[in-house]
Amino acid sequence: MNRHSAALALSLAVLALVAVPSSAQDEEALKKDLTAVIALQGLPCGQVVTAEEKAETDYAVSCTDGNLYRVYLNPAGRVVVEKRK
Amino acid sequence: MTRYTAVLILLLTAGCASVAPVPAAAQPPVAATQPAPAKPTATPATPASPPTAPRVAATRATATPPAVAPRIPATTPVAVPTATAAPLDLNALEAQLRATRAIGVFTKISLKNQVDDLMKAFREHYGGKATRTMSDLRRSYDLLIMKVLSLLQDHDQMLASAIVSSREAIWGLLSDQTKFANL
Repeated sequence: MNRHSAALALSLAVLALVAVPSSAQDEEALKKDLTAVIALQGLPCGQVVTAEEKAETDYAVSCTDGNLYRVYLNPAGRVVVEKRK
Repeated sequence: MTRYTAVLILLLTAGCASVAPVPAAAQPPVAATQPAPAKPTATPATPASPPTAPRVAATRATATPPAVAPRIPATTPVAVPTATAAPLDLNALEAQLRATRAIGVFTKISLKNQVDDLMKAFREHYGGKATRTMSDLRRSYDLLIMKVLSLLQDHDQMLASAIVSSREAIWGLLSDQTKFANL
């Protein structure tokens, strides 16, 4: 039984290690998505550096050029990009 | 102990196998929260037909010149009609745009917003209550197409070429009041 527990623990540890790159790629994909959204609105940004999820489909974003934005989906189904201070 | 080693190796290889395809995904975290991307799965049959035309056009454009050039122009007339006679299937294009992984979910919604705005501008124009002329609308349309193409061209060239080949046909629908009314 101990052997099984140890094997299970080891497996979980390995899975956790493997899962890390996947979430990092997700993070990069999200930043790329938000960068494109800001560019589509014609707002300056460069590239999104950080994207903090404030709520579902609501992000606080910082850009390489120092601009800060809130990007969210409003109840009417429109993507809104608001400048933050 | 050899059992654990075997399990460890198995898990590592399994992990690598599942991680490899992930880079193509552009929007996994948001996808779960968005209702919009759910639709593409409902229309898997339609997108199958249109990409073939651009695919043929694209591959012939790049692949045939070196291979076919020494032969005779007999093969080129065959390629030309397929490229120019690309059928316009708006539903299929829309389904492909919804399904493509080259554009993130937020970006897709943002593009959809801009398409809706343009359609509204056309409706106002035809309703006689607009300040925008047809050339203004054409400029907006061209800009929107360029935005879509710039998002697609590096990651989904087939869809990009399908949109390029449909560009004038779509404009033909938009710029004709009766055709527009039937959209």
